[in-house]
Amino acid sequence: MIDVAIKLGLAMVVFFGVLNLAGLHTWIERKQSAIIQDRIGANRASIFGFKLLGLFHPLADAVKMFTKEDIIPARGDKVLHTLAPAFSVFFALAAFAAIPFGDRLMLGGRVIELQVAKLDVALLYIFAMLSLGVYGVILAGFASRNNYALLGGLRATAQMISYEIALGIAIIGLILVYQTLDLQDLVRAQGKLLGGWIPLWGIVVQPVAFFVFVTAALAETKRIPFDLPEGESEIIGYFVEYSGMKFGMFFLTDFLETIMVACLAATLFFGGWQVPYLMPDGFHFPWGGSFAVSHWTYVLMGVASFSLKVLFFCWLFMQLRWTLPRFRYDQLMKLGWLGLFPVAVANVVVTASVLYWLGGRN
Amino acid sequence: MAVKVVRRRELTFWEKLYIPQILSGLKITSKHFFRNLLLHIAHRLGLLKHLRASVTYQYPEEPRPLMSRFRSRHRLTVRDEGTPRCVGCMLCETVCPAKCITILAGEHPDPNVEKYPVRFDIDLGVCVYCGYCVEVCPEDAIRMDSGILDVAAYSREEMKLDIHELMNPALRKPVGECNLPFPHQCRLTGGQIKGSWEEVASGRR
Amino acid sequence: MPALTIDGRRIDAPDGSTVIQAAEQAGIFIARYCYHPGLSIAGNCRICLVEVEKNPKLQIACNTPVMEGMVVHTNSGKAEDGRRAVLEFLLANHPLDCPVCDQSGECDLQNFYMNFGLYDPRFEEQKVKKKKAVAIGPHVMLDQERCILCSRCVRFTDEITKTGEFGIFNRGDKAELGLFPGQTLDNAYSANVIDICPVGALTEMDFRFKARVWYLSSAPSVCNGCAQGCNIDVHFVLNRPHLNDGARIMRLKPRYNPDVNQWWMCDEGRFGFGWIDRGRLTKVLHHGVQSAWDEAMAAIASSLPQLRLGVIASAQLTVEELFLIREVFHDAQITASVPEAPGSSDDFLIQADKNPNTLGAAWLGFAQRDIVHDALQGRIDALWVFGHDLAKLFGEETLQELSSKLRLFVYSGTNENPTSSSATWALPAAAYLEKEGTFVNCHGRIQRVRQAFPPLLDSREDWRLLLDLARQINRPRHYRNPQEIFLGLAATEVRFKNLNYEAIGTQGFPLHD
Ligand code: SF4
Ligand code: SF4
Ligand code: SF4
Ligand code: SF4
Ligand code: FES
Repeated sequence: MIDVAIKLGLAMVVFFGVLNLAGLHTWIERKQSAIIQDRIGANRASIFGFKLLGLFHPLADAVKMFTKEDIIPARGDKVLHTLAPAFSVFFALAAFAAIPFGDRLMLGGRVIELQVAKLDVALLYIFAMLSLGVYGVILAGFASRNNYALLGGLRATAQMISYEIALGIAIIGLILVYQTLDLQDLVRAQGKLLGGWIPLWGIVVQPVAFFVFVTAALAETKRIPFDLPEGESEIIGYFVEYSGMKFGMFFLTDFLETIMVACLAATLFFGGWQVPYLMPDGFHFPWGGSFAVSHWTYVLMGVASFSLKVLFFCWLFMQLRWTLPRFRYDQLMKLGWLGLFPVAVANVVVTASVLYWLGGRN
Repeated sequence: MAVKVVRRRELTFWEKLYIPQILSGLKITSKHFFRNLLLHIAHRLGLLKHLRASVTYQYPEEPRPLMSRFRSRHRLTVRDEGTPRCVGCMLCETVCPAKCITILAGEHPDPNVEKYPVRFDIDLGVCVYCGYCVEVCPEDAIRMDSGILDVAAYSREEMKLDIHELMNPALRKPVGECNLPFPHQCRLTGGQIKGSWEEVASGRR
Repeated sequence: MPALTIDGRRIDAPDGSTVIQAAEQAGIFIARYCYHPGLSIAGNCRICLVEVEKNPKLQIACNTPVMEGMVVHTNSGKAEDGRRAVLEFLLANHPLDCPVCDQSGECDLQNFYMNFGLYDPRFEEQKVKKKKAVAIGPHVMLDQERCILCSRCVRFTDEITKTGEFGIFNRGDKAELGLFPGQTLDNAYSANVIDICPVGALTEMDFRFKARVWYLSSAPSVCNGCAQGCNIDVHFVLNRPHLNDGARIMRLKPRYNPDVNQWWMCDEGRFGFGWIDRGRLTKVLHHGVQSAWDEAMAAIASSLPQLRLGVIASAQLTVEELFLIREVFHDAQITASVPEAPGSSDDFLIQADKNPNTLGAAWLGFAQRDIVHDALQGRIDALWVFGHDLAKLFGEETLQELSSKLRLFVYSGTNENPTSSSATWALPAAAYLEKEGTFVNCHGRIQRVRQAFPPLLDSREDWRLLLDLARQINRPRHYRNPQEIFLGLAATEVRFKNLNYEAIGTQGFPLHD
């Protein structure tokens, strides 16, 4: 009973945190782009005269989305049309279940893993969820009964499937190195030190995989520079026939996926909740000093470390989004199949060979 | 016709790799981001106010400084006794490329003035703000220096200015009452002539 | 016939002519203020200075007789300098009134300044003040400051009207134009001084401030005020309805025709255009109730064959329309004359007959006939009246009696009047400035009236309505416009034989019995 309650609690925490971050993303998006472009950004929404740097705009947006008329095309498929955005959001959210956001917490003799679902195959699970997200997109395009939407859906599907392959292969190298699909184990494995100094993070052992992964994952999120399925002002995309909160859900999905990618990047390549030189009993610096911390402090520092890393990646992706121009479709396909895919495969081969040569562990 | 073949330069390996380019792009956007972010924070603390963190003007709280030759809404200059300087020569009506000025001239009791506008309307919904009317006026009677920019209305009718609003730029729609003493035609009186020169004379005394 | 050279061109000028006339004959324009071809020569403005070879000083072209072998330069540097200096003097005391001056746009001071003046003014002293905006008669406004003392107006009242109201008083820069004490400028031709005044000293009171002259469009026509048929230009504005309360015509100006009116016209004709824009009949009326052209024509056409028709045509109609009336109503009683009292007349232009086309009607065989009497006697039971107001001519009671007796009473005319309201059908007709056609004046000269602007609202030209009616009563005439009607007329009437609109032209064509 208590186990269930704990799991529920964890789920609530993740749910709450992720959804809020996604909501906040609309604000970050506006403000960051504004600051990059020497502007001020949305700052007019106010409650009792308080403007709070425009933080009420996401709130106003939400109110607007919920109160807007929900339009379903007369000849569209009503059921699928309603289901599609729910699919998208559901799978995007479900993936977060397997993300570990802290080390295990000892509480009253219990061991609580700070991860909603402790899965042996967490990595596979996350990729499965992300792949299922394609359904939301293709269904949206199909159910709208709009040629543009359908074409947008097809573009999105082709793009997501193409890049999923590179994405999948990119992390094989990582799995080869760390020998596990369990993300919690994978993060722990990154706590080791290389030569006593350098934390053995994914980025250190698999730099190529990192670049391939980030690129492909960004393509998965369908945002600039990969926003060919739907380019706000100029490309009609799969959710053209959506309005109100259903449209909002697609929007939310975009942000959720961005956060997901940030989480994955942090977990796989930047040591997840690891803090350099912090062991469960305290800091052990390579130059010999050490500094003991309590268990709670240790766990919270882990959570904080993970959060900071995720936020950094969110910022970085946003920065990229406001820096790069959009690809052309043929360039997009070329990059996926002729660029990332071979590189990822080569990375796997090289990694495998090196590992074999290093000691025939396998 | 001679054909000029323009060849595209082949990209170098580094350029094809794209990553250095992305990084240089990131460098630019990040430079702006951090500089502006720091300035915004400094401004909150009351520092570095002389450096602008953004090019945005927070109109209408913070109006943009107008250049001295900026053309804003028209006004008619006024004589001491409260009649328009305009002598109804209709040169502005003639030169106006948008044909948005409507003037009806009348007899002024002073033979040295002789003529004045009984009606003077400008349809701002049609005006192109070229300033020709100002340039052509021989009497310096019409100017575009009122500094009024926020000319907006919910109907075409409301975009039409009559002699009241032109003589007194402070007036805004709806113009309350007709307070011009000299005989004139305005919308407040439904196109009827109102006022008399005796009123003007008594006002001067 | 002395031969001379002006600006390098050899000209054979008639004996006794002056250099300005010889130049004009060769198409060379010499600036002038005081010179007017219709008036005696005064030679006092000095703007017409030209250089004559072997002559040390510049000469005034308007008063230098031509001589054999003379060599004249009108735009040599010397001549231009001279004219520029004259202009500068003329403008020394001239007020800067152009913005309020009704002459501006057609002012010779402006024109000549732009042509050859273009100097920078040097006059810094106080200008002499004189009287401004003085009404010196029912039609004319005087501004003494603007006057350049050319004396054209003085000579006009001395020589043409012989009324002598004007004089130039005082000396030097105090000299001013004015009326002799106790006079008003109210002769029958007073407004002509407005036309001849080269500047804005004399302006029209009717046209005053109504429009700027550059707003005006112009069309050549003929005055319909009397049998003289003075040639006129119609000045009108169509695209600025806020001016002049939406009236189209702004003013009439005489048009030069040496055989009819020279440069002049009478005030009555000049200011008698008000009815064209005011009080017009604009809708088809059936017993005073608004109706439509189709209904009216169908109703009239269906009842006409059973009725004995009388037609009172009018000498205000064009020759073409009278011809059509004769053709279409060939079995009806027709006349064009009504008992009108003769109007004022003089031995210059004004004729007692106030209709422009009386002779044309007579030549087409329109006889005198008392059709109103016939109608009252019951000899006819349908009456068609073109333009006349029977109430004014025969009295209100006769009109009432007529309208009660007649089975069909059609009025086609331009304006609302008692006749239009008591007619069975009142048809709005186009005014003479709204249609093409010809008038024959009292001297047998056929002249064209031209359409200046389209008929007002629902009104139609009489020729158009006659052609329409002819088709509906199965007597179709295959004309499409007044020109074709006129050709048909020229083919049947000997007096008009071989004539066409081109031959009549803008100056008319003299016809004789
Ligand atoms: S600014 Fe130009 S368009 Fe506007 S009223 Fe003046 S002349 Fe006309
Ligand atoms: S140009 Fe000047 S004086 Fe003339 S009508 Fe226009 S405002 Fe009046
Ligand atoms: S007379 Fe001619 S120059 Fe003089 S004010 Fe009138 S328009 Fe101007
Ligand atoms: S009023 Fe006109 S016509 Fe008469 S003298 Fe003066 S300028 Fe000449
Ligand atoms: S025109 Fe010759 S002196 Fe006036």
